[in-house]
Amino acid sequence: MTARVQTQSGTVFVVDDEEVLRDALSWLLRSRRLLPRAYASADEFWAAIEKHDVRPDSPACLLLDMRMPGMNGMALFERLIERGWLEVLPVIFLTGHADVATAVLAVKRGAFDFVEKPFSDNALVDRVVEALGRSEQALARLREREALRRHLAELTERELEVMRLVTAGRANKQIADTLDISVRTVEVHRARVFDKMDVKSAVELANVLRGAGLD
Amino acid sequence: MPSAVPPPPPSSPTALSALLANVSRRWQGTPLWIALVALVVTVQAALLWLTWQQEQSQRQEDTETAAIAAAADVRQRLLDDAQTLQRLLWDQGRPERWRPQAAQLLQERAELLRIERRGPGFSIDEVVASVAYPGQFQAIPREGMSVDAEIACATARRFASPAYSRTYFLPNPNGLGLEVVDLCIPLTQESSTTDAVVVTMGLSDLLRVAIPAEIVRGHEVLLVEADGTRLARTGSRRGAGVFIADRLVDVSGFTAVVRLNSLQGVPRLIPNLSAALAVLLSVALGVVILLLVHDMRRRSAAEQALAEALTFRKAMEDSLVTGLRARTTDGRITYVNPAFCQMVGYEAEELLQAETPPYWPPEMAALYTERQRERNAGNAPPREGHETVFMRRDGERFPVLIFEAPLVDARGRPGGWMSTVLDVSAQRRMEELSRQQQDKLQAAARLATMGEMATLLSHELNQPLAAIASYATGSLNLMPETPDDPPSDLDTQLMIRQAVARIAEQAERAGRVIRSVHQFVRRRERLRENVRAGELIEAVLPLVRLTARRSNTRIEVDVPEPPPRVSCDRTMVEQVLLNLARNGIQAMEEDDTLPLNQRTLRLEVRQTGERWVSFGLTDHGPGIPDAVARQLFTPFFSTKPEGMGIGLAMCRTVIEQHGGALDFSPGPDGRGTTFRFTLPSSSPVPPPPTSPIPSPPP
Repeated sequence: MTARVQTQSGTVFVVDDEEVLRDALSWLLRSRRLLPRAYASADEFWAAIEKHDVRPDSPACLLLDMRMPGMNGMALFERLIERGWLEVLPVIFLTGHADVATAVLAVKRGAFDFVEKPFSDNALVDRVVEALGRSEQALARLREREALRRHLAELTERELEVMRLVTAGRANKQIADTLDISVRTVEVHRARVFDKMDVKSAVELANVLRGAGLD
Repeated sequence: MPSAVPPPPPSSPTALSALLANVSRRWQGTPLWIALVALVVTVQAALLWLTWQQEQSQRQEDTETAAIAAAADVRQRLLDDAQTLQRLLWDQGRPERWRPQAAQLLQERAELLRIERRGPGFSIDEVVASVAYPGQFQAIPREGMSVDAEIACATARRFASPAYSRTYFLPNPNGLGLEVVDLCIPLTQESSTTDAVVVTMGLSDLLRVAIPAEIVRGHEVLLVEADGTRLARTGSRRGAGVFIADRLVDVSGFTAVVRLNSLQGVPRLIPNLSAALAVLLSVALGVVILLLVHDMRRRSAAEQALAEALTFRKAMEDSLVTGLRARTTDGRITYVNPAFCQMVGYEAEELLQAETPPYWPPEMAALYTERQRERNAGNAPPREGHETVFMRRDGERFPVLIFEAPLVDARGRPGGWMSTVLDVSAQRRMEELSRQQQDKLQAAARLATMGEMATLLSHELNQPLAAIASYATGSLNLMPETPDDPPSDLDTQLMIRQAVARIAEQAERAGRVIRSVHQFVRRRERLRENVRAGELIEAVLPLVRLTARRSNTRIEVDVPEPPPRVSCDRTMVEQVLLNLARNGIQAMEEDDTLPLNQRTLRLEVRQTGERWVSFGLTDHGPGIPDAVARQLFTPFFSTKPEGMGIGLAMCRTVIEQHGGALDFSPGPDGRGTTFRFTLPSSSPVPPPPTSPIPSPPP
């Protein structure tokens, strides 16, 4: 049972109004070397987000009870969709028997999964681990895109023009003709772009740009 | 005449026409009556007229007969006279004797007025005159009046026999006169000087003498010349001029008509006996006819009234929705109304001809026949009616409510039974429907309660159990899986310890939930009260009967007097009774082979020992198979498709909560099942509340 000893970095937020369950679940997660953070209500969790106590900067996952006094699970879920956090913070709903239909709807709208109470404990933890993995991937993609954006921002106007033509597959000579500059100047710009974008070739550049959806 | 239609006010045209129609209807037989009366009157008139006519002809005939007789008499007299006078002539040789003889003759025969002997040249030789008419021949000299006599004598001489002259009037001195006739008797003897004897006869006297008195009494007798000149008459009075008979008398030159004019006039109608009889009969007949007409009128009016009454009654019977049926004492149907026919779906003729009523369901026929026999034996049916089951033509059974009353014939003897039959199937269906709905509602309510309870319990128990499961799983995660694994470090062991502590905590919490349920149940035990066993049964009896009615199940109740008292939660025990009773009834309903008269559910109550009261419910259903019996009290086990399987289990729980016991055994006669439960008796010694659960009595 490798799953049981496998550890995963990341935070598991547990939002449930039942203290006993919250505690038991937290304890279970800890027994699997996960880091649980428990909140007694959706409102409390939302307040933590507002105060930036909870930030989407590390792998995380949310175990959300559907029915709660105050803001209920679905309402919180809607707010997370608005913030675009679903990728980074996958949501697993904890539902009672009666809420299955709502839970299915939530999954269609992007929730990671739902688990019916009473749940099979280790199976739940397995899903949590999967969710954390998903979160990690999403974070990585996010970071890549962030870096690319930073690199692009360093480029001058002329360098951007040259890069666009390079990724369009033009030769240096053609670029020089188009921009009415010397081939030599084009080569300098091109070298600068490759350097700033941290790539070695035109093909690599095109791939990076396409991967970030910016080409 | 009692008219069923009161005469309407003749104000409106329709009312007027109705009145006219009524009148015309009333007079519609009149022409016949008029014809009959006219016929009778005509016949009577004809009869009367014929009688009268016959009377008249009779009188005419009488007159004719009298006339013949009178004519014969006159003729005879005249012949006699001639003969007598001839005889007188024989003595003419001795004239001295002639005269006295002639005088005597005149005396004897009143009609002879004068006898003359005439000589040659028609001279009057000798005359003898009657003394009855003195001076008769002085007024006019005889010689001047002998023309007729001369003609007669000439004729007499020619035929040499007496001959009469024509009649002539002989006036007398006082202004009157006599109609007379001369008879001339010629003499042929040469020796004599006399040529002829002339005799003058008075015609009035002739009639008076010649006609017998009986004729004269009834008639005016006239002597009339052929040309109608009246010559003489005799008779006391003048004739009526109605019945007249003429007879010609013709004797040697004398020709006259004897005319009889009867004194009797036209016969009157009434005095005649036969006429009177006929009139009397006519009147009597008329009266009879009138009476008959009147009677017929009354009779037809009565008939009309009767017909109207019949029509009214028929309309009334036809309009009824209630079935009517009349039967003789031996069960034959003598009358049914359309509503009844419609109810059972048979024609009236079929019902009247049937030996046993075709609407009796075959399986009930024996029972009904028995019931009929009981009724004839004098057990009157209940006034409030009784309920039974009939069968429609298509075989459908339906419940009816029957009210019966004895029929008494015209002589006051019981002739059968008159029944009013109400189809109560619709009513029963409604009752059944409402009962089923009530049942469903109750079931739903019970389900809802159970569902709520289950939700509450599951929620309350789920949490600690889920927590326990989580802690246990986590602990397992932390513990070494195999002996080869490294032992847990101290932190891990502390974590596990914490988890086990939590597990204990949550287990205790679950225990508390369970205890609270027990407490809730125990709270009901405090609701016990002292109730008479009879009251418990009476409380559920209406519902049980309602259920039983559908399958014609009889309910027998056997509660000793005085009824034992029990201490129980009344509502719960009533529910138990109801459940058990319904089970029993349903068991018998499902058994098609069970005869109707054995469909009995028996409820009995017995005091068993000092402290226990036993309730028994015995049905005659098919009994309980062993396989079912083993599971009978298992919750959620049911043999019924819609059953929830909590009935018997709940019953047992309720009874056991009361300290009693619920069990069952096969029925006493090998059929069916007896469910028996015991409840603590409260009358002699109330059981101490803290006593341990006593063992139930056998």
